[in-house]
Amino acid sequence: MSFEVSKEDKKSTYVILPAYNEATRIQPVLESIAEKGYNMIVVNDGSSDNTLDVIKQTKQKYPDQIHIFSLIINRGVGVATQTGFDAVFQFDAKYVVSMDSDGQHSADDLDNVIKPLVSGEAQAVIGVRPLKDMPMSRNFANAVMNLLTRIFYRVNVSDSQTGFRAITIDALRKIDINARGYLISSEFIREVNDNNIPFAEVPIKTIYTPETQAKGTNVKEAFKILIQMIKHQF
Amino acid sequence: MLLYSILFPIISILAILWFFYRYLKEKQSLATVILWTILWLFVIVFSIFPSYSERFAKLFGITRGLDFIIIVVFVVLFYIMFRLYNRLDILQDEVNKMVKEVALSNEITLDDEEEE
Repeated sequence: MSFEVSKEDKKSTYVILPAYNEATRIQPVLESIAEKGYNMIVVNDGSSDNTLDVIKQTKQKYPDQIHIFSLIINRGVGVATQTGFDAVFQFDAKYVVSMDSDGQHSADDLDNVIKPLVSGEAQAVIGVRPLKDMPMSRNFANAVMNLLTRIFYRVNVSDSQTGFRAITIDALRKIDINARGYLISSEFIREVNDNNIPFAEVPIKTIYTPETQAKGTNVKEAFKILIQMIKHQF
Repeated sequence: MLLYSILFPIISILAILWFFYRYLKEKQSLATVILWTILWLFVIVFSIFPSYSERFAKLFGITRGLDFIIIVVFVVLFYIMFRLYNRLDILQDEVNKMVKEVALSNEITLDDEEEE
């Protein structure tokens, strides 16, 4: 059975995009999402380049679809995403998606990611990156983070570090996200699991470029995540 | 008399006075002042009578007095680091909350730009 996401469903979907120094990459991302008919909440995470100006310029083209919030100082992807999650309650949202703004995620996957939410099959979705697309170093780091998520949060998922996730507004009300940095990925999965929110994994495309690879969970971030995971046990 | 047995007590007395001054200014709790005063009193005693440190060391099963002092210094430093880390953590949370609230109550619209 093929299930299509309607125009109305797209209109009630808000895509959260935390953006830190993405001036050179964010515009095509915003345009591709807008063209698909989705709404966006773009959170500028205290960027030191002209990311905010680029977002504003794109908003001129899609004034009703792009909503901008800006953190006055850089607080990390976790806080920027939390801001988006809080901001979404100011709008008439039914489904909330969060994805990266550096172009590593494709807007073509949005339909697939929200399908399980629209059909009622799940209330939360994580977009899973195919292992074969991942560079070796990322692959290894991801395996370690999956294992840590399994040990500390007792959830077994195939991609714990994905930045592409979706949730219904009702389920979002139930979860409590406090992570500052990249821990948000694991924390989202833990909260979904702890609150017994039915969730699904959907395969997504990932576009790796040297720039997108420079960001994300590196060894330093992984170590920070480990410390925070241990802290959360107490 | 060695130099350190004059210098350390002076530093300790100044430190104690500094803590009491902060207590009077209500910048420090009484418990903290008492704890630090005890610590600095030990510094005074050990610098004037170094042999006393051996008695304390033996109490804890440590043979040398100097080892005992070094261990105590390590414990105190780690405690301070832990306290600072905690304080920093709380401050980070407060800053995040504030930054988030400022952002949430100021959605950026195109009108803002026109006003500028």
